[in-house]
Amino acid sequence: MKVGLVSFAHVHAAGYAAALSAMPGIELLAADPAHAERPPSELGGPTLAAQLGVDHVDTYDELYAWGPDAVVVCSENADHRADVLRAAAEGVHVLCEKPLATSSADAAAMVAACEEAGVFLMVAYPVRFSPAFAAVVASSEAGDLGRVRAVSGTNNGRVPTSRAWFTDPARSGGGAMTDHLVHIADLLDALFHGQRVVSVYAAANEILHPDLGVETAGLVSLTYADGVTAVIDCSWSKPAHYPTWGGLTLNLVTDAGLVDVDPFVQRVDGFSESARSPLWLGYGTDLDQLLLAEFLGAVRSGVQPQPDGHVGHRTVKVVEAAYESLRRGQRVDLDWS
Amino acid sequence: MSPYTVGLIGAGGIAHAHLPAWLQLGADVVVHSLVGAPELVAEHGGRVVDSLEELLALSDAVDVCTPTPTHRDLVLAAAAAGRHVVCEKPLALTVDDVTAMIDACAAAGVSLYPGHVVRYFPAYAAMHDAVADGTLGALAVQRFQRIGAAPRMAWFHDDEQSGGIVMDQMIHDLDFARWTAGEVVRVHATRTTGSEGGDGPALPVTAQVILTHRSGAISYVTGTWGHADVTFQTRFEVVGDQGLLQHDSADHQPFSANGLPAVAGSGYRPTVPYSESPYLSEIREFHRAFREGVEPRVSALDGRAAVAIAAAANASIRSGSAVDLEVLS
Repeated sequence: MKVGLVSFAHVHAAGYAAALSAMPGIELLAADPAHAERPPSELGGPTLAAQLGVDHVDTYDELYAWGPDAVVVCSENADHRADVLRAAAEGVHVLCEKPLATSSADAAAMVAACEEAGVFLMVAYPVRFSPAFAAVVASSEAGDLGRVRAVSGTNNGRVPTSRAWFTDPARSGGGAMTDHLVHIADLLDALFHGQRVVSVYAAANEILHPDLGVETAGLVSLTYADGVTAVIDCSWSKPAHYPTWGGLTLNLVTDAGLVDVDPFVQRVDGFSESARSPLWLGYGTDLDQLLLAEFLGAVRSGVQPQPDGHVGHRTVKVVEAAYESLRRGQRVDLDWS
Repeated sequence: MSPYTVGLIGAGGIAHAHLPAWLQLGADVVVHSLVGAPELVAEHGGRVVDSLEELLALSDAVDVCTPTPTHRDLVLAAAAAGRHVVCEKPLALTVDDVTAMIDACAAAGVSLYPGHVVRYFPAYAAMHDAVADGTLGALAVQRFQRIGAAPRMAWFHDDEQSGGIVMDQMIHDLDFARWTAGEVVRVHATRTTGSEGGDGPALPVTAQVILTHRSGAISYVTGTWGHADVTFQTRFEVVGDQGLLQHDSADHQPFSANGLPAVAGSGYRPTVPYSESPYLSEIREFHRAFREGVEPRVSALDGRAAVAIAAAANASIRSGSAVDLEVLS
């Protein structure tokens, strides 16, 4: 199978390249034409491709002329729409980095274009594939939890510094709320079977890294149609020298009791004298590998992969509502009609 | 010098925490309660008196440990008798009631302190000290979680009497969030309750409060009253531009066993084994304040601000909208 990598703008591109290279039967070709527009300190283009051991072409025309069966879009968030529409126009299945788009209108257009072209659109929400999350879904489906009454979620990380566009709202769509709200919104979409978020309230600030000009801390309350509330801390609140990138946790209040889900907690703890900092050796399941396996399996089998473009769209709509709530300082209702 | 005499009113859960503390500090304690006073003193010490009047006449200070709706009148009675007052949180259900209590105590020249005991829990106090000395820099975002078995007494589950989980349980963390991050200007809250089941209250009860502080910092406070098997647990994470602090009461246990018969947990009232009871630390400060005029770490104005935040949260739960809060002077 031929898989194209569209852009190295997102840091996850390197991880996907490594995982895809290790998979048998996958031919990989990358194109990162916009690398010259990014700061020289940010590795990209043929240089990064060479480091990753991946073939590289200079234009998307060449990438598509190669005849890929599928592409993985890792461009800047604001470019997702154009890049997914191109894939659809070429009749190529597409896995798109999260968030799917920087506006709900863009996301809807991408979903429509892929459906019209008959290609799969999948969104890169790897935590869906966490065995810990699968366990809570299984408990819920088995009826062991009764009803979920409330959720407290955290998706915290260091402020992204390795790619400047992440903190340029024109390129990324926004700050921490854009980056870190969608993962948990997606998990709850899965846990609650696509149940709609009916209202959103958000509070945010720029106290951490005030020079960036985007929100770096955010608390967002989502109320679902059945009255369940989830509050998500989506802050970039891990200090720059924290021993790991961050993490994601869910705490569910259910009829049966409380449930904690911490997919990234598995680690060996220690301390490095030379680095004068704690050592955290994480060892959980490789979620990117499972995500890619779902996508490639779908391309082979013709069965729609999950998370699909619809949940990508729904989660972008929640982010959009969160920004609207911030502007108004008030809870906002979502219109799903 | 004759021993310091404390008049303890009420004999419920919190009286069981306060009475041993007063006794340990050498106070003479007289207890008055509509129910449970003989059992309370039989367990801990002190002696029962038959009327509020007798209690007020005998006491140097009064400790109000009764259900919330009675706080106002009892504090006013203590003030009228010229007695200093400790009053369990929440001071009252409304800001107006608390203001009346503060005014009455001020007019009588007596002190009033609210039992915001979480300020005396060692992990919380350590975190506050670090925030206060600037270790974390400017605070940006805080999270507080409090989980326990639901209280058994029916009045806790009647919003009219207790103010519900936000006013009764979460007020601890609402007070703390304000202590570390400053005055609160906006509150958004939601609450959900499980289905009615059997003869007890509908459980779980859980609420989620988002605060915006005047500084711009934001806080998330959540609490749960669960069924009887839910073990008491608290968590916090506080982040500033110079670092973060986090704590989970389930972690860092100085004693654990493997293979021993299970030790029953304490569902509702938190205990901190292996370090001084935070109730003793709290009562010691109030005792010292009454006798020596040394201000404790919590004031009646703090208690009023906490009631204002909790009342705003309850208003937000009812209306579905965020509520702007006027900062009281």
